[in-house]
Amino acid sequence: MSAERIASGDGVAFKEVYKVYPDGTRAVDNLNLDIRRGELVSLIGPSGCGKTTTLKMINRLEEPTSGSIVVGGEDVRSSDAVALRRRIGYVVQEIALFPHLTVAENINVVPSLLGWSEAKMRFRADELLEMAGLAPERYRYRLPDQLSGGQKQRIGVLRALAADPQVILMDEPFGALDPISRETLQNELVSLQKNLRKTIVFVTHDMDEAIRISDRIAILRHGKVEQIGTPEEIQTSPKNDFIRNFIGEDRLSQMSPDDSVGMLLEEPWAVAAPSESAAAVLERMEENDREFIHVVDPKSGVWLGAALLGRVRRAAVAGKSVVESLSRDRKLYLEDAVLRDVAQMLADRDISIPVLDADDRLLGVVTSAGLARLAMNRLRGKRPSPAGGEKKEESR
Amino acid sequence: MSQRSLIDLFITFVGRNWQRILRLTGEHLLISLIAVGITVAVCVPLGIYLTRNERAAPYVIGLANVFQTVPSLALLGFLIFVFGIGNDNAICALFLYAMLPVLQNTYTGIRGVPKSFVQAARGMGMTDFQILMKVQFPLALPVLVAGVRVAMVWTIGTATLASAIGGGGLGRLIFSGLSSVRNEIILAGAIPATLLALAADWLLKRAQEYFNPSARAKRLAKRHGISAEKEANSAA
Repeated sequence: MSAERIASGDGVAFKEVYKVYPDGTRAVDNLNLDIRRGELVSLIGPSGCGKTTTLKMINRLEEPTSGSIVVGGEDVRSSDAVALRRRIGYVVQEIALFPHLTVAENINVVPSLLGWSEAKMRFRADELLEMAGLAPERYRYRLPDQLSGGQKQRIGVLRALAADPQVILMDEPFGALDPISRETLQNELVSLQKNLRKTIVFVTHDMDEAIRISDRIAILRHGKVEQIGTPEEIQTSPKNDFIRNFIGEDRLSQMSPDDSVGMLLEEPWAVAAPSESAAAVLERMEENDREFIHVVDPKSGVWLGAALLGRVRRAAVAGKSVVESLSRDRKLYLEDAVLRDVAQMLADRDISIPVLDADDRLLGVVTSAGLARLAMNRLRGKRPSPAGGEKKEESR
Repeated sequence: MSQRSLIDLFITFVGRNWQRILRLTGEHLLISLIAVGITVAVCVPLGIYLTRNERAAPYVIGLANVFQTVPSLALLGFLIFVFGIGNDNAICALFLYAMLPVLQNTYTGIRGVPKSFVQAARGMGMTDFQILMKVQFPLALPVLVAGVRVAMVWTIGTATLASAIGGGGLGRLIFSGLSSVRNEIILAGAIPATLLALAADWLLKRAQEYFNPSARAKRLAKRHGISAEKEANSAA
């Protein structure tokens, strides 16, 4: 996504970080992790893998034994812990809204520590409540006890957002919620993140959750990053048996027709610019034995259409530009396309399908080869152990 | 001595001595308030200190417990050697007596604040002092006030013994009634003492309710012209 947008080091970076407890336990063992600005990265792993310790070292609730942790370009150990924490949002599993404070006061805990004016805090609380779809005049003076579990954690998230920090830490924030509220809040977080683009470090033990919400997932084991990648990468190419077990055999084998096509995206073999002549494009296609090429505006990345070999040939004979041969009806949008669509379209005609973002930019293509590879991976993943997801808690 | 005549005697005594009774009641209340005031001023900070020094806690609370179990008359008598005769002695003894509920409730009240609140507060950038003042203390307050309530009622009751060591208060009437075998005088001391204790209990119960978080939220909502209760009901 916006991964390359801003140079790394601006988000949260761990460099050779160790955390050794007095009893010799290595909670974090040479951890290296670079979380980019505006990215949501999940830390996941079996219990005792060091994910919560890792999170707490970012706001200095835990101090690393050695190594450096940089937040927003500044080493955390060179800044005052209290000031640092006020710059970083924090959401905990226990929710921990203060029961003696109203919803608005809870939201404004950090702003009040920062000395904001009453008027500004009131405005901020109302603004955030509205953003979360909670009518301010109804909820402002409620107490946490008068809220449902899902509403409580919604306020918990708003509390972390109140002082507008760039970095937000979430420690299994939805772990204590019922499945329905959990899913609702996950979806809300995803849409919130689309607009706000915070740097979010999200600890979870729930792989489904990580897949649903993350830009990237870091799987931790024995205090090290075992594998890091986008949800699609982790699912389609688990690095080893540990990852495969951890993801859960059932998930690998369970290819739902409603899964996003995101995991199938491939680079298109070649694209043509609209300014090229049909003849030049035809030559390239024949050389590479292709019957299909995508035409993309080189500046904006916007997909203009696909050119089929037959039509390019005709345009070339007529001496026209490649633009004359485009067809635009065969495409998918990443936002709403699922594997079912891909399978149907590929069965209909076996040529690569362009996948576009909401602004018509070409993100990649999906091919029948990719679909077959995914299927193979998942089938293979199932074979080694029939035990399924039970392995999750096992390795320590 | 018939019932009727006791009531008659009582009314006559009160009619003749009401000014003295009022003065002694005031004195009684003053002694009790000073004693409980000192107790709160000493034991609340001490209780908070103990939550940060857990190892000392059992010893200090144990000591308060010992004072509690010594018979009150014996304690008062013993303190004559320290303070001599009079109200100072009485106040000191009452203070030692009232320590336990205030100390214990402060300590357990603050320790009873769930760790998750403290962790969240720290994670959001509160200093230790802010955590104490903004989170732990307000949450422990209803428990703390309950301790003060118990201490207050005990103290008002025990303060009647102060006159045994030369102090003032309604105990004067009770002891003089006992020595002259005149029940109406005993009653003239005992009834106001009981009423004082009940009134103090009632007042502190109201205070306990006042410091309750939900009462606070209702006040806040009222001040801003919104009925939180109605809102909560309509939501449910």
